[in-house]
Amino acid sequence: MKFLQKVPRHLFFTGKGGVGKTSIACASAVELADAGKKVLLVSTDPASNVGQVFGVAIGNRITEIPSVARLSALEIDPQGAAQAYRDRIVGPVRGVLPEDVVKGIEEQLSGACTTEIAAFDEFTQLLTDSALTAGFEHIVFDTAPTGHTIRLLQLPGAWSGFLEAGKGDASCLGPLAGLEKQRSQYKAAVLALADPERTRLVLVARAQSATLREAARTHQELADIGLSRQYLVINGLLPVDEGDADELAAAICAREQRALQNMSEALLSLPQDRIALKPFNLVGLASLRHLLNDAPVAAASQSVPAVPVPNASSLSRLVDDIAADGHGLVMLMGKGGVGKTTLAAAVAVALAHRGFPVHLTTSDPAAHLAQTLDGTLEHLSVSRIDPHEVTERYREHVLATKGAALDAEGRAMLEEDLRSPCTEEIAVFQSFSRIIREAGKKFVVMDTAPTGHTLLLLDATGAYHRDIVRQMGETGLHFTTPMMQLQDPKQTKVLIVTLAETTPVLEAANLQADLRRAGIEPWAWVINNSLAACAPTSPLLRERARNELREIEAVATCHAQRYALVPLLKTEPVGVQRLLDLAGHSSEKV
Amino acid sequence: MKNIQIFDPAMCCNTGVCGVEVDQSLVTFAADVEWAKQQGAQIERFNLSQQPMAFAENAIVKGLLERTGQTALPVTLVDGQLSLAGRYPTRDDLVRWAGLAATTSPAPAATPCCSGGRCC
Repeated sequence: MKFLQKVPRHLFFTGKGGVGKTSIACASAVELADAGKKVLLVSTDPASNVGQVFGVAIGNRITEIPSVARLSALEIDPQGAAQAYRDRIVGPVRGVLPEDVVKGIEEQLSGACTTEIAAFDEFTQLLTDSALTAGFEHIVFDTAPTGHTIRLLQLPGAWSGFLEAGKGDASCLGPLAGLEKQRSQYKAAVLALADPERTRLVLVARAQSATLREAARTHQELADIGLSRQYLVINGLLPVDEGDADELAAAICAREQRALQNMSEALLSLPQDRIALKPFNLVGLASLRHLLNDAPVAAASQSVPAVPVPNASSLSRLVDDIAADGHGLVMLMGKGGVGKTTLAAAVAVALAHRGFPVHLTTSDPAAHLAQTLDGTLEHLSVSRIDPHEVTERYREHVLATKGAALDAEGRAMLEEDLRSPCTEEIAVFQSFSRIIREAGKKFVVMDTAPTGHTLLLLDATGAYHRDIVRQMGETGLHFTTPMMQLQDPKQTKVLIVTLAETTPVLEAANLQADLRRAGIEPWAWVINNSLAACAPTSPLLRERARNELREIEAVATCHAQRYALVPLLKTEPVGVQRLLDLAGHSSEKV
Repeated sequence: MKNIQIFDPAMCCNTGVCGVEVDQSLVTFAADVEWAKQQGAQIERFNLSQQPMAFAENAIVKGLLERTGQTALPVTLVDGQLSLAGRYPTRDDLVRWAGLAATTSPAPAATPCCSGGRCC
């Protein structure tokens, strides 16, 4: 692997969720440790599962991995970091100031930006705190999904710039009151990140056109903020000879090769590694050690028996049940990369096809919706919440209205505050709640951003809910809040999207648990891109299909009230007809 | 020069732009403070959610919080004496307290607000 040659101290893996960052980061850390280096593996992903990969509980402190000499790991838990921060601020005044005042402070510090900033604060320490990381020759970071990663990495630059300006109490970096004290540390973190002698960034992607487009965008964004020496890893590539005897495998191979050929110039210019699809799930040490070498694995012999196609409902049948209510909000949730956007489009098209008015919208920062729904249909309207765009619009709106009467200095300060990390959360949330209201009259189908972002979005909704309840509670008027609408299964159906693989199913179960804590009960699960539903003949695909059965069983019996199985298609589901096929095309043939 | 201290309600930034609704009086006041400082006024702001100890350590502010709760905020002290509670000072107030030369000021703060912006 090129990305593991002459590795600098810090190694970052970034890419859309589901491309295999965690596995590759773990495998790289193991390989470096096996080569005699002392390695620290860090997960900053809100849905961290490094502990699960090694079968050890890790948590928010450096923990030695017993099964791998010289390897330690650390999970940064954003929620835990935020709680610790809250305790630090609120602790000293608890019992000193009145209780409702203390509660008010805590609520202010319970928002999305506190969580993000607190997590970032820990991340910074690892890049700069020599005492904490002194013994380690390499620190391998398995980072959060792309959009989140970019912000995380962009923050130190923005903050240093802000602190340089020294505007004192104009600070909208609010939640981190102690920030000023660590000015030098933040600056050092920026320098460490942008220095190719110390930091290597590895983009991880799959050989899918949408994923590669996103990788190209990430490459550009990170290059723009100084991380220009990047490597590219194409993960999970189907070996070309698998296509010899299997139509589906041949179609996948052809699609992958086409996607690789059409990669952007910028990506092609990066040092590139390719990792073949393995016939096993990447859990446990033995599997990990096989990931980065392409030594043939014994399991993939020619005599793999056919895998029975699971008897599961189609997406179309779920849509029948959704359609029965005549209107409502349908939200597809799940880790990035599981196909929420495509399935949201499929659900929307299937509803519109049945004659219902449908508004399809996406808040995924990496939306490919326009590309996916490459066609028009009566009753269907399509929109997109582009976080960047709505943030800009929100900024302009605030400046034009609230800032209209201000003088030049006042305007400059308002602009400064509008550059804060939380402005985006608010702007996205506002667009989101506006669209939710439409669901009283028609169907609104939303895909959402990756897990962490989705939860932050819901958290913002929750804060708003408490706000409205407090204000309206006094007037005695009848009211509903966006949160109440989300919690009512008559009005809102949450579809959890996952893949029939160990980690995605566990992540989806975690997401479901989080939603339940917010009082939201997922209505159904959708298992996407299932090979088992395709009855493949290629030995490698059959091995993968067989591995899926256990996961499908787990979804059916442990996790989902109802679920649908969506097969992996030979062609990418682009356009109305193929999306209709995707919804109807199911294991009904069993 | 008199020392003006303002004790803000809990919010994550002084213009309140992080709230679900931007509070005009906060935006205006933040600009007024910036303007007055440029004219040489000594003004300090304390945010309840960032510097709660400043509230706990000031007897006047702490007493107000105990008697009337958060609705007492914002509180303005001029040279340590209570001058205003429950709303933000206008630019004219700042001019008077700081002893600045009066100028043509833009529209003063609209309806006084004490709940502050919601934090994000």
